[in-house]
Amino acid sequence: MPEKKERYQNRIELLQGTLDLLILQTLQWGPQHGYGISVAIRNRSGEILQVDTGSLYPALHRLEKQRWIKAEWKVSENKQRAKYYRLTAAGKKQLSRELSKWSQLSDAMAGVLNPDET
Amino acid sequence: MIFWRRKTHETELDEELRTHLSMAAQTRMERGVDPEEAERAARGEFGNVGLVKEATRDAWGGRWLGDLLDDTRYGLRMLGKNPGFTAVAMLTLALGIGSNTAVFSLIDALLLRSLAVPAPRELVHISFGPPGTKGPLSGPMFDRLRERQSAFTDLFAWKNGPMVLTEKDAARPITGAYATGSAFPTLKLKPRLGRLLNWQDDEPDASSNGIAAVISEAFWIEHFGGDPRVLGQPITVDGGTATIVGVMPRSFNGITVDYAPQVVLPFAFDVALRGKSSCRFRASCWFHAMGRLKPGLGFAQARANLSTIAGDVLKESLPSNYERVDYLRKGILSLTPGRTGNSPLGEVYGRELWTLQALVGLLMIICCANLASLELSRTLNRQHELVVRSALGAGRLRLVRQLVAESAILAFAGATAGIVLSQWMSALLVGYIEQSDFPVFLDLRPDTATLAATIALATLTVILTGALPALTLTRVHTEEMLRSGAQRTVARKRHPFAASLLPVQVALSLLLASLALLFAISTGKLLRMDPGFRVKGITLFGVDFERRPEKSEARLDLHRRMLEALRQAPGVEAASVIAARPLGDGGMDESAAPVEGNGPESRHLFENVVGPGYFQTAGTQVLAGREFSQFDRLGATPVCILNEAAASFFFPRQSALGKHVRSTEPNAARATCEVIAVVADAKYLSLREPAPPTIYYPYEQLPSFNWVGFITRSHDTSAAVAAFKNALSRLAPDTPLLPPITMQRQLEDSIGKERLTAALSLFFGGLALLLTSIGLYGLESQRVAQRTAEIGLRMALGAQGKDMLWFILREAGVVFAIGVPIGLALTFAASHFIGALLYEISPLDPRIHFVTVLILLGAGFLASFIPARRAMSVDPMVALRYE
Repeated sequence: MPEKKERYQNRIELLQGTLDLLILQTLQWGPQHGYGISVAIRNRSGEILQVDTGSLYPALHRLEKQRWIKAEWKVSENKQRAKYYRLTAAGKKQLSRELSKWSQLSDAMAGVLNPDET
Repeated sequence: MIFWRRKTHETELDEELRTHLSMAAQTRMERGVDPEEAERAARGEFGNVGLVKEATRDAWGGRWLGDLLDDTRYGLRMLGKNPGFTAVAMLTLALGIGSNTAVFSLIDALLLRSLAVPAPRELVHISFGPPGTKGPLSGPMFDRLRERQSAFTDLFAWKNGPMVLTEKDAARPITGAYATGSAFPTLKLKPRLGRLLNWQDDEPDASSNGIAAVISEAFWIEHFGGDPRVLGQPITVDGGTATIVGVMPRSFNGITVDYAPQVVLPFAFDVALRGKSSCRFRASCWFHAMGRLKPGLGFAQARANLSTIAGDVLKESLPSNYERVDYLRKGILSLTPGRTGNSPLGEVYGRELWTLQALVGLLMIICCANLASLELSRTLNRQHELVVRSALGAGRLRLVRQLVAESAILAFAGATAGIVLSQWMSALLVGYIEQSDFPVFLDLRPDTATLAATIALATLTVILTGALPALTLTRVHTEEMLRSGAQRTVARKRHPFAASLLPVQVALSLLLASLALLFAISTGKLLRMDPGFRVKGITLFGVDFERRPEKSEARLDLHRRMLEALRQAPGVEAASVIAARPLGDGGMDESAAPVEGNGPESRHLFENVVGPGYFQTAGTQVLAGREFSQFDRLGATPVCILNEAAASFFFPRQSALGKHVRSTEPNAARATCEVIAVVADAKYLSLREPAPPTIYYPYEQLPSFNWVGFITRSHDTSAAVAAFKNALSRLAPDTPLLPPITMQRQLEDSIGKERLTAALSLFFGGLALLLTSIGLYGLESQRVAQRTAEIGLRMALGAQGKDMLWFILREAGVVFAIGVPIGLALTFAASHFIGALLYEISPLDPRIHFVTVLILLGAGFLASFIPARRAMSVDPMVALRYE
């Protein structure tokens, strides 16, 4: 099974809380279902970030419970009933908070890892 | 997560994940992968659907409730699948918890429970008596003490006693009590209805405006139908009339735990009835006294206060002749905590009850051990199931929780059954304790303390039997086990925990069985001994002629006519009069000295007052002389009869007949008497003590002595009771009929403690033996089942059936080789504590221990022989093919 092997090799462990950020960011471009979100993250990360379904769905349901995203059943382009998640107003605020936290974090990380470039 | 919305969420989650899978497959198919391959790849990428669902459900929150329901449902199903295990486990638990709760609720009621009054810890008992005793106070003592004390907010005196309620010419006995006016204010009790007694009710002139009475709530409901108009109604008690002013709350049943007064009257009632001769003023009439400590005042300070005034109080209140009475001369005032009220039964049975509690505690340990081994062997057999479940995505914690849930269901069911069982067992226990004269009142409702103890027991059982095996067993290596495939190989590893439980069970069973046998033999000896009087066919009757118009000579005549009527009644073989019932609660004593010769001076004697033909009726042998006749009356020569012990003491090595004895009591009514007979020794107060030296007087020579009862001998008790009822209603119609008692019952009552201990320890000992046998049987059966293949192989290689028998019995032998010495050591250690409870048998008697070990070995052999037989009959071919 080449696909499976590849998956394990390229896998990067997501930092705690980054999955939430990725989901919220993905939903910024419009409502999407679970599979769509996982495909989008994978594509946008250049096949590097593989979202484990065992983390994705708990995260989606947790975010829904925190009312940052809202779920509704809609029919997909393939005429299939699917559960679509969309960003709420509170979710948008949370996203900008997470984004600024993330850029602080990545700046800080970059500073530590490449001290002479700064 | 709201519980009922769970189901919708569950189906939505299903659909959501299904959509994900089908979309993933769809994408692959669009890329040209064939449908089957696409589906498989999508599944592979997705991972374990069950685990994803589990993880997602976790995000919902409120997970535990659903899991709890799942665990419960699953647990119930697993228990239902294994009815044999469930039944044995539940029965074990119910018996263990039931017997513990029953004994504990009795201990709680008799010894531990607080009086239902505010701040019961402030209450103290004040008692008088020689050091170490806790006797009551006399009226004058109480009054002097109350005047002088400064440590208590107040004191009160209380006296329980049967009373006679008269209504529309019918009389019936009720339970009553006299209390000083300070009683209810000191107890701080709130009325259920109306008001309670206060100081004004107990004033000497209270009678002018009608004396007040309060009644218990139970009596109010049973007798007055709970009608609030009861207030202001008159009530006629003991020949006087009082007015009901209030009802006591249900939770308050007087200050004595085993006696619930239906009516409480102020002492003023007795004073109005009897004037100066009222018990209230007499120095020889005793009350129970209690007080409430002043707030902030410690027990020690109160004791110090009491010791400063005790001398003066006693000097002013003791009768002038106190120097000559041992009890009064040595008496001191003392304080004891009064939180639990007064408990005469608790004092009598305390040691026995704690012994029983220790026994049932041991029984509970055996129950737990048994449950743990049962549970463990069941878990071992389920290991394959556990492995499969963990492979399907169940976390270890989840598995442990499942096992604990099953134990919790068992514990809950067992505790419920145990509480039901304990109600029944408590009633049985009280039946043993109860004396026949008056029913014992005991409030045995399981209160919070008992319930808490039961719940603690059940929880402990859960932890011991469910969680421990679960923890050790869920540490399984999934892959290794799945690969090995056969559940038998896995379970073959012996579990040291289970193996170590059995010797403990054997040891404890040996201890319980030995104690049971000791108590049973000791009680059997007491029951079979010759008390010196007949037991069969004897019936004793109390009478209360106090309110009859006949006095002195007329009263004697009434007795004579009663006797005549009894003797002529059909079915009655003999009848006489007796004052102190053998083995009854009270006796009389007397000091006397012989007149003739140079024998010993004075001797303390027990005394009884009997009628003509008493010894013939009671079946006490007259060794020499004649017994009292109807001619031994006032005016004739004063006569008396000695028993052998007294006769040989006063007149050693000579005939006592015709000799004289003089009373050395201060102000004795009779000076000297002529000994007209010597009778066989008969037990007096207690079966356990040797018959004391006793002197008998004819009641017709004691003019002021009028509290005697009747004794009859008949083939049939009911004939005697009918004859007595008939005679009473003819000759003294308005006299209440006090419950008659057979000598058999009197004897059994007098050794109630011993019978209680023996019956219960036999029951518990038998139970322990049974449980241990079940445990052994279970372990050996499991061992045989696990090793079927090994046994088959051995037999295929030429081992004989008897080798296999030995193979199994050997392990049982090891269990006993460890357990029996421990059990014997425990029994010897315990013998120190139980020696005092036994009668004429040593707790170290080797015969007892030999028999118990034999019984235990027999039971053990039987329990392991059945599985061993199964091992012998293993067919090597079948066993090997199976593996």
